Amino acid sequence: MTIDQLLTLIEHTALATRVREGDWWFPLDECLHVLSIVTVFGSILMMDLRLVGLASRDSAVTRLTKEVLPYTWIAFAFAVITGAIMFISKAKVYWHNPQFELKFLFMALAAANMLVFHFGVFRRVADWDDALPPPPAARLAGALSISLWIAVIFFGRWIGFTT
Amino acid sequence: MHDLLTSLANWIASTRLSLFFQTTEGLIAASQSIHILAISVVFGSGLMISLRLLGIGASGRTVSRLASTLLPWMGWALLVLLLTGLLQLVAEPVRELGTTAFWLKMGMLVCVLALNVWFGRTVRARAAVWDSAATRPASARLFAVVSLLLWVGIVLCGRLIAYTWQQ
Repeated sequence: MTIDQLLTLIEHTALATRVREGDWWFPLDECLHVLSIVTVFGSILMMDLRLVGLASRDSAVTRLTKEVLPYTWIAFAFAVITGAIMFISKAKVYWHNPQFELKFLFMALAAANMLVFHFGVFRRVADWDDALPPPPAARLAGALSISLWIAVIFFGRWIGFTT
Repeated sequence: MHDLLTSLANWIASTRLSLFFQTTEGLIAASQSIHILAISVVFGSGLMISLRLLGIGASGRTVSRLASTLLPWMGWALLVLLLTGLLQLVAEPVRELGTTAFWLKMGMLVCVLALNVWFGRTVRARAAVWDSAATRPASARLFAVVSLLLWVGIVLCGRLIAYTWQQ
């Protein structure tokens, strides 16, 4: 089976058909997607600005990860679900859309950055939990994360203008 | 749409500035992206403040410290929202001014701005009272719930403008 055949199969599922043909399914799903991503980006930005050393300087890094990141992950889960619902409604269109591909490329880079940070300098966070400025590796990870997520949001919005 | 609003929208659409915005490739998409980035700052900050007031989150900082950290960020982000929003209004005046979702959004925006100005001033003036859960007034929880609902409504109406306007 080719990828296009698989995508066509996905487009013909009951849910995909309903989202595509209903008047309000897609807009409402998109609204929830926007709410999810503003929560994801807003909370990640708080974390990243702390890693860069620009904001929330009165909070220890681990304190902030406990306070902020649970909401990031809950919102991210909603973003994945609502995003998947949009995707299946026009799977072939999105799959072949360059902006869609770039969005996922930058999301993959953001994930890689997060893993490098998590298994790198974050393992020794006890040494720099309150240190200002934070170590260069943490500041770099924060700055990269901000830049990559900005790109994700730009290409995400751009998809709507090119599909 | 009201006749006066229609005339106003049509006039804005015919200005050189509007025509420039309309014909510049990618400008509206870029402006909308920046608009979303800025609302992330506002919504994320508002969410953390509301959760803190409801006793659910951000317990590491007092209410007054959290407010003094986040409110300035919200203020700057609101300025960015105003500028990108104005650009979008000038670029697509008929779409904005003629849509119920747009006016609903503006109405909720005025309410939530007033609430946040009140919140910022009150917390600064009575930090000790607001920082202790025992003495914090009941209005704190009301503010937390109402402002969060308003921000949610603003984001939803903002996106719905694109789907409810009549050409």
